[in-house]
Amino acid sequence: MATTMSTESSSMKDAFSKHADYLNNLNDKRERVVKASRDITINSKKVIFQVHRISKHNKEEVLQKAEKDLVAVTDRYISRLVRELQGTDFWKLRRAYSPGVQEYVEAATFCKFCRTGTLLSLDEINATLLPLSDPSLEPLQINVLDYLLGLADLTGELMRLAIGRISDGEREFADKICKFVREIYRELTHVVPLVDDSSDMKLKMDTMLQSVMKIENACFGDHVRRSEYMPLPGSDDQTSFLLAVPDVEI
Amino acid sequence: MKSAFRNAHSLFRSLNPNPNPHLASLLLPRRLTLLTPPSPPSLRPQTFPSLSATLSSASMPGGEPLTPPPLEKQFEDFRAQLEESGTLRERIRAVVMEIESTTRLMHSGLLLVHQSRSTPEVLEKPKGQIGVLKELYNRLAEVVRESPGQYYRYHGDWRTETQTVVSLLAFMHWLETGTLLLHTEAEEKLGLNDSEFCLDVEDYLVGICFMSNELPRYVVNQVTAGDYDCPRKVLKFLTDLHAAFRMLNLRNDFLRKKFDGMKYDLRRVEEVYYDVKIRGLTANGAPVEDQGPQGPP
Repeated sequence: MATTMSTESSSMKDAFSKHADYLNNLNDKRERVVKASRDITINSKKVIFQVHRISKHNKEEVLQKAEKDLVAVTDRYISRLVRELQGTDFWKLRRAYSPGVQEYVEAATFCKFCRTGTLLSLDEINATLLPLSDPSLEPLQINVLDYLLGLADLTGELMRLAIGRISDGEREFADKICKFVREIYRELTHVVPLVDDSSDMKLKMDTMLQSVMKIENACFGDHVRRSEYMPLPGSDDQTSFLLAVPDVEI
Repeated sequence: MKSAFRNAHSLFRSLNPNPNPHLASLLLPRRLTLLTPPSPPSLRPQTFPSLSATLSSASMPGGEPLTPPPLEKQFEDFRAQLEESGTLRERIRAVVMEIESTTRLMHSGLLLVHQSRSTPEVLEKPKGQIGVLKELYNRLAEVVRESPGQYYRYHGDWRTETQTVVSLLAFMHWLETGTLLLHTEAEEKLGLNDSEFCLDVEDYLVGICFMSNELPRYVVNQVTAGDYDCPRKVLKFLTDLHAAFRMLNLRNDFLRKKFDGMKYDLRRVEEVYYDVKIRGLTANGAPVEDQGPQGPP
C-alpha cells in the first residue's frame, strides 16, 4: 500500500515537473515577445512622430528619414519577434505581440500614405517581413485582425496630420486625407462585425468616427472661412469669394 | 410658442439696436455664399478618382494616382476571409455545445456520489459518455484541422468546456483508481494523443483544480455515510497534488487563481480528517489506518 502510494506521488511529480518546464518556457517566451512588442511600439511611435514633422517644404527629407527609421524598426525589432514566434505561437501569443504589431502597421501605413496617398496593403507589409524569417520555417505574417486594428489607429494620426496641414495652408492635402479616412472608415464598417473579438474593434470604430468628423469639421471650417479672407497679395488663391460677391444675384 | 418667438425677436432687436436695412442687404449675399459655395469647390466630392489623381500629382512628389480598386479589393478579401473564419467558428461552437451538454449529463450522474451510492454504480453512466466525448472531440479536431496552425485562434471557444471535461474525467479516474489522471492519460481518453489537436496543458491544469474543488464535499458526505477512512485518503491525495502544483511557476492568471483556491479545499479536508480522527472514528477499528496522511515522519 505504502509503496504504491509513493510511486503514485512520484509519477505525479514527474508529470508536473514536465508541466513546470513547459510553463517556464512558455512564460519566458511570452515575456520576450512582450518586450519585443514594446520595443516595436516605442520605435514605431517615433516613426509616426517623425512623419508629423512634415510641412510644406520639407516633405521629402522628413519622409525619407521616417522611412529609414521604419526599416530600422523592421530589421531590429520585428525580426526579434519573427525569431521568437513559430507555428501555433502566432495565435497563442497574439495578445503578447498584438499591440506592437498594430503600432507597426500604423507607422508603415502612415508613411506610405504620406508618400503616395494610398493604403499600404496587408500583403505588402507581409511581403516585407518575409526576408526576416528562416526560409525553412513558416514565416511570421501579420494577421488580418491586427492589421485592421492598426488601420483603425491610423485614422487618429491622420486626423492630427490633417489638422496640422490645414493650419499650414495645405488644403488639398487635408482634403485628400479626409477622403482617405472616410473611405477607410466606410470599408471598416463592413468588416468590423465579422472580426473575431469585435469589442476592441467597436471601441476603435467610435474613436475613428470622432476622428473622421474632426477632419470633416476642420475641412468645413477651412472651407467656410476661406470665403472671408482676402487672398494674400501674390498668392495664387484660385477663388476669392469676396470679389465674387457682386456677381451673385440676390 | 408665440411668446417664445416674440422673445427671440426682441432678443434679436436688443442685440441689434438699430437694424439697418442696408447692412442687412450687405450681409445677405455673404451669407448666401456661405451656404452655397461657388462652383469650383463644390465639384470636389463627387469626382473621387480623377480628382485624387490630380491631387496626388499636385501635392505629392512622385505620387501615383490613388486607385480605389485595390483598397476595395483588399477589404473584400478581408470580408471573405473573416466570413470564412466566422462560419468555422459557428461549426466549432455547434460541436462545443454538444460537448457541453454531454458534460452536464456526466456531471449530474456523478453527483450521485454524494448520495452514498456505490462508486461502480455511480460511474457506470458517466463512463458511457466518455465515448461520446471522444467522438465529439474527434469532430472538433476535424473542424479545426481545416485551418491549420490556428488552434489557438479558436481556443477560447472550447476552453471552459474542456476544463470541465478534464475535471470530470479526473474525478472519475480518481474515484476508480485513487490516482491523478495525468495529462497524457486525459488526452488518451479523449482520443487526442496523436492528433494535431492537443489538450492544452493549462486547460488540463485548470481542470484538475476544478476537480479538487469537488473533493471537500465528497469527503464530508462519505464520512456522513460512514466511510471514516475516506478523509485520510483524500487528504493524502490532495496534499500530493498541492505539492505538485507548487512546482509550477504560475503567472497572475486564471490558473493561478484556481491554484490559490486549492488550499481551501485542502484545509477543509484537513478539518474533516481532524474531526474524524479526534473522535477516534476509524474504519472497522483497523489500526493500520492511523498512520496519518503523510505516512511515518
